[in-house]
Amino acid sequence: MAAASRRLRLVGTGIRRESLLVLLLLAAVMAIFAPNFLSLGNLINVLLATAVIGVLAIGVTFVLAGGGLDLSVGSIMAVAGVAMGLASQSGLPWPVALSTGLAVGAFLGWCNAVFIVRSGVPPFIVTLGMLSVARGLALLISDGRPIYGLPQEIVFLGQGRVLGIPAPVWIFLLTTILGQFLISRTRFGYHTLALGDNETAARVAGIAIEAMKARLYTLSGVMAALGGLLFAARVNAADPTAGIGYELLAITAAVIGGTNLFGGRGTVVGTFIGALIMGVLQNGLNLMAVQPFYQQIAIGVILVLAVWLDRVQSRERT
Amino acid sequence: MRTFLAITVLIALFTAGLATAQGRTVGVVLKTLANPFWGAMREGIEEGGKSVGLTLIIQAVPSEQDVEPQLNTCLNLLQRNVNALVVAAINATNLLPCIREANRRNIPVVDLDANLDPAILQREGLRVVFSISSDNRRAGGQAAEYLVQKKGNNFRGKVLIIEGLAGNPTSAARRDGFRERLAQLAPQASIVASLPGDWDRLKAANITNDVLQRHPDLSAIYAANDTMALGAVEAVFAAGKGGQVVVIGTDGNADAVRSIRAGRLTASVAQLPYLVGFQAIENLAKVLQGQTVPSRIIVPTLVIDREILEQGRDPLLRYLR
Amino acid sequence: MGSLLEVKEVYKRFGAVEVLRGVSFALNGGTVLGLVGDNGAGKSTLMKLITGVHSVDSGEIWFNGQLLSSPRQTHSPARARRFGIEMVYQDLALAKQQDVAANIFLGREPVRHFLGILPIVDREAMEIRAKSILDELGIRISISQLRAPVAWLSGGQQQTIAIARALSFDPKLLILDEPTAALAVKETEHVLEVIRELRNRGIGIILISHRLPDIFEVTDRILVLHQGKVAADLVTKNTSMAEVVAHIVGAGPLHKGGLV
Repeated sequence: MAAASRRLRLVGTGIRRESLLVLLLLAAVMAIFAPNFLSLGNLINVLLATAVIGVLAIGVTFVLAGGGLDLSVGSIMAVAGVAMGLASQSGLPWPVALSTGLAVGAFLGWCNAVFIVRSGVPPFIVTLGMLSVARGLALLISDGRPIYGLPQEIVFLGQGRVLGIPAPVWIFLLTTILGQFLISRTRFGYHTLALGDNETAARVAGIAIEAMKARLYTLSGVMAALGGLLFAARVNAADPTAGIGYELLAITAAVIGGTNLFGGRGTVVGTFIGALIMGVLQNGLNLMAVQPFYQQIAIGVILVLAVWLDRVQSRERT
Repeated sequence: MRTFLAITVLIALFTAGLATAQGRTVGVVLKTLANPFWGAMREGIEEGGKSVGLTLIIQAVPSEQDVEPQLNTCLNLLQRNVNALVVAAINATNLLPCIREANRRNIPVVDLDANLDPAILQREGLRVVFSISSDNRRAGGQAAEYLVQKKGNNFRGKVLIIEGLAGNPTSAARRDGFRERLAQLAPQASIVASLPGDWDRLKAANITNDVLQRHPDLSAIYAANDTMALGAVEAVFAAGKGGQVVVIGTDGNADAVRSIRAGRLTASVAQLPYLVGFQAIENLAKVLQGQTVPSRIIVPTLVIDREILEQGRDPLLRYLR
Repeated sequence: MGSLLEVKEVYKRFGAVEVLRGVSFALNGGTVLGLVGDNGAGKSTLMKLITGVHSVDSGEIWFNGQLLSSPRQTHSPARARRFGIEMVYQDLALAKQQDVAANIFLGREPVRHFLGILPIVDREAMEIRAKSILDELGIRISISQLRAPVAWLSGGQQQTIAIARALSFDPKLLILDEPTAALAVKETEHVLEVIRELRNRGIGIILISHRLPDIFEVTDRILVLHQGKVAADLVTKNTSMAEVVAHIVGAGPLHKGGLV
């Protein structure tokens, strides 16, 4: 009895059943109308196409759940990729190059946190500023030009396959599992949600608010960097113009997946589903040779519907 | 809940469009349709497809920054089991994984508008059947030829070159082509400045102003694209030098044509993206029938000025879009 | 002495404003003290001195025979908690989207070790303990309500959750700030029941409220503050609403009250 209820809770708690339903429905529609949608190759393609944004979205989920906002993830993605590219170009071994990229992301994320906590300037503004600063940094250190010729091992991260499944997909799935564990099962996750729900309550309960925020934004920076590394590996170049607009897509995925934009609720599996919804939509419409501009309209509509539905549901319950 | 489900279905249906995959299908990945250059190329491709009887699936991405979505689109096209792939890559490396997969499946790949780098392709062990574009260097050379034709072989005047984005290969090719040819045809002419206008109208206007200040007797301006040429034209007329300075642009887009007819812009080296697209499909059809085609196909560019437009006799004019 | 809480001649000023001007009173365990007074009388400042948010300018506060706060003795919220003083704020400080157990154990979630090394939150233990705390308070709550976001519960239930959280620290003194202000009649009754239950357990309770009927229903003594001074220290059953109101507005004669 206890085991059964635990299983249900694993699926039900915090994860909106509606998101899963929408995903399945959309997949069904695509299976009917889009040629080749249900082939294994195509489904893997969907996961592959979603991986970079998915990883970014997972990082953003933590920040949003904690009551913050990070608009700089697209730019951090670019700087991290470029830093990794420069590191490997200058002869450093590939693990060092990868770590450099991740460290840059962590550092910029931490900078976000420090500013937000110390200056009292709202996260929207601080991370908006970082969006510009990081982008400028990326262009500066790369001289505005993409860095080609990444080492084989790093390219494998973006183009290699393990057991027939592309490496980015593995990384995406792994990140989802670890992230979900972190947000739903650990004290860190509980405290994050409480912080976003009611900062005063969290403070009164003795949670170290400033340290929590530092961790959340740093985590977001690291995820953005990971996304940047995957991106560079996929397209064979560390590009300073990478990730433009990705921050909005990441936030959209998180919100469609059930993360409360104002904090206090969010799951990583939900974000995974939200990212997949966007990926299935794009992939299906691609297969149907629909103009890409329609895809953008469709995503915007689904986002608003997802949040509206959520509000209607919570009104029904209270 | 039910309303929401119904709405989702409606959205999906509303945006549904079926594409058939009968007979020989060719997948085409363009850059962005937001640019009229690519719109004209698309027209040429479509007409080409009709004329040789190939079914086309044409896809584009929203902007020239969408590097990853273009790769995803390319991979999706391969999922549709196309018989050939035509790609206009945003940069030299973003589509390599897709090309690799196409090579693996023995699907011929065409490099549309020469965005791929042969050196990189060789290093990666990838093949394309041919590369087709206009020749930017030759375009610049044609501008120099036109200038000398207008001003005479003994032309010894001052010339300003307005380049595109610094470091951009297209811009560099046009500039170098112009320089080379000018040196050959009119060695006594002097290039007083060669500055990057970043493809921007206002920037080009400012550059022109500055240079006119220092060299009031400037004879000619060559700009690496029409947008910048039109900016330069404004500055020239504002300085009262309308008749004195010859301004030549590159691209031959609709704005340039209008300005030439109105007697402001002197000339432009028109690219013919419609023809590039058309010929790409024509040549691809030959490849699919087992014939060989040259691995590098150059599509001519056409210099247009008021006279040529008004006479309307040049056969290439019909490819101007 | 022997009383749980003793406040002796406490003064507090903020800048030019003297908020408390020589307040003294005492409280035993197992007693409910109603604290009333108009806005600005100094009620919340007095509570903040007891819970350690502010420090006293002069005077002393003793708790359980030990010096809690004085000009020589610094005080803090963590210290107040260690001494066994808990406060439930007017806005409850609940994380509304989290469930009951998560709220009660916020910041001190019980942990078990997954595979022996990874610390994960022990949800089952948390639920069981939460349920038992609520059962002890006589609050009936179903499993599904326990797992639901706190926002889905009624105002009265939320109030009891907040009190349950305070109780999970095993306090000797509990301060409640306007617990029934936003509640319907039935819910108010439940909360007052809980207060009585706690008194019977020997906990000292200070009840701040504007609702005099509630004060008269559940308190043993009433302390009236007026402009930073104790206007009256009354035994509830020996006084009337009219007298209390008179003291609140500053119209009554200064009354010396005694310990019950």
